[in-house]
Amino acid sequence: MDAIEVIGLTKRFGDNIAVNGIRFRVGEGETFGFLGPNGAGKTTTIRMLTGMTRITSGHALIHGHDIVRDTLAAKQLMGIVSETSNVYDELSAWDNLIFTGRIYHLGKAEIQRNARDLLETFDLYERRHEPAEAFSKGMKRRLTLAMGLVNRPRVLFLDEPTSGLDVQSRRIIRDVVQDLAQKNVTIFLTTHDIEEANVTCDRVAIINRGTIAAIDAPEKLKQTFESLQSVEVSFDTTKPGLLEALRTLPQVNEVRKEGDKFRLYTADPPEVLGSLCVLAKEQNLRPISVTTRGPSLEEVFIRLTGLSVGTKKETGEADAGLA
Amino acid sequence: MPGLLEEISYDLGAAWAIARKDMKIYYLKPSILVSSLLFPFVMFLAFAIGRNAPPGTLIPGLLAITLLFSASSIEPVSIPIERRTKTFDRLLSAPVSVRAIVLGASLSGAIFASAIGVATTAIGLVAFRTGILHIVALLTGIALTSLCFSTMGTLFAAYRTENVGEVMSLLNLVRLPLLFISGVFIPIASMPAWGQSIALLSPLTYAHDLILFAFDGTTLFGPVADTAVLVLALIIFQAAGALLYQRSRE
Repeated sequence: MDAIEVIGLTKRFGDNIAVNGIRFRVGEGETFGFLGPNGAGKTTTIRMLTGMTRITSGHALIHGHDIVRDTLAAKQLMGIVSETSNVYDELSAWDNLIFTGRIYHLGKAEIQRNARDLLETFDLYERRHEPAEAFSKGMKRRLTLAMGLVNRPRVLFLDEPTSGLDVQSRRIIRDVVQDLAQKNVTIFLTTHDIEEANVTCDRVAIINRGTIAAIDAPEKLKQTFESLQSVEVSFDTTKPGLLEALRTLPQVNEVRKEGDKFRLYTADPPEVLGSLCVLAKEQNLRPISVTTRGPSLEEVFIRLTGLSVGTKKETGEADAGLA
Repeated sequence: MPGLLEEISYDLGAAWAIARKDMKIYYLKPSILVSSLLFPFVMFLAFAIGRNAPPGTLIPGLLAITLLFSASSIEPVSIPIERRTKTFDRLLSAPVSVRAIVLGASLSGAIFASAIGVATTAIGLVAFRTGILHIVALLTGIALTSLCFSTMGTLFAAYRTENVGEVMSLLNLVRLPLLFISGVFIPIASMPAWGQSIALLSPLTYAHDLILFAFDGTTLFGPVADTAVLVLALIIFQAAGALLYQRSRE
């Protein structure tokens, strides 16, 4: 059985369609990234999946429990870590966890055991009796994640878990998330940090204007966009007109200067490498580094969401993996 | 899917957890406690000075006003604040029904107002050496009035805003007229016919009548009718609250 099954999920606000008939499945134990630009429908989707917002039409199932018809059973299986560190500032870290355990209907002994374990895991145990308002941003974020785990969820919704955090908090949170994934907990992650999704997620979905633009493993999505491959070259010196000369090379779609390097976007890196050698010889330039690169997930994301990436518009994007 | 009994048990457990949380965060602050205890004293001075009525006769009216304001003042503040800080989302995303959310928020206000009401009565009894004729009616009146008006406050907080002022303005539009049409200041028997008709619609009328009966035995409707109307108002407020919070989850 899938951990999350979304069938034709739609949300309307008046005449505005925020989420338009999206469908996808997330397997048990999978780490699933949900990416999209601001206003694409990420938060609305999470709010519908977690029962916070009413669904206009369609269905969302959590381990087979319909979030509308079987709400309490579905919610009992979830942990939710929202984008805002929504802890009760006036309560201590301990009391925040105890309260959360109570509204998830856990027994007293289980709540206390889980609270102690989580506070130790997130390095907050020593300060458990201090009110949360005295905590730093990173500590509040860790407490928020601890509160999302107090019921030992089988599905964890993480909304921008490491955004704007210090290195220590980021590392603790990433370690815990990786550990949960190994324990077969399903993780539904939304993030603006594309690289985080790239290294963390088994699959990602990219949502744009309320519809799913693509769903696949990060590496497969990258392969879909051959024209986003590039050759990165740095010469020992630079000459006026070099950028224009590079742009005239055959098979080069676009050239961007990035610091002391030039990046040449192409669908055929070997052909461009040959042309580069000829150009360097003609202009008496000595390449000091040459690297071929595949497209990054960020470039795929930008291409799919219609934002400018500095390359010529590619047509025929309906390859495998694109929704 | 949990059975009916299990669901009721979940609801009561969650409501009690929410009530305890609200008591700890909002009601047990020294500033709230002091101002709530001073409120009936200030009201007493406002009504006693310049009047010929024996001060002890003012206690039932003051108690009714104290219960109304103590019970209905905190949740219309705390819920918009929790919406702003997104802590209210915790309740919406937890396996907790909206019935339990409304009941929990109302319970905290009711417990607080009942405690303030009992303290006010005790001080009044000692200060003016008056007695109570029907202690059960008094305790029933305090408990039911507190729960009824704390639910009313929670009901108004269902208005989907993060702005406390908006909720309080709406609430005061209802709360202040209640004082004048419920027999607290002007005896219902002295009101014109249209005033008496409106008075019948106010739960505060029956709360005041029940408290008056507890103190001196006088009553317009009888303690059973007063209790029944208060219970009915409580059920209506709870149901309307649950419906509005459910609808506000847009």
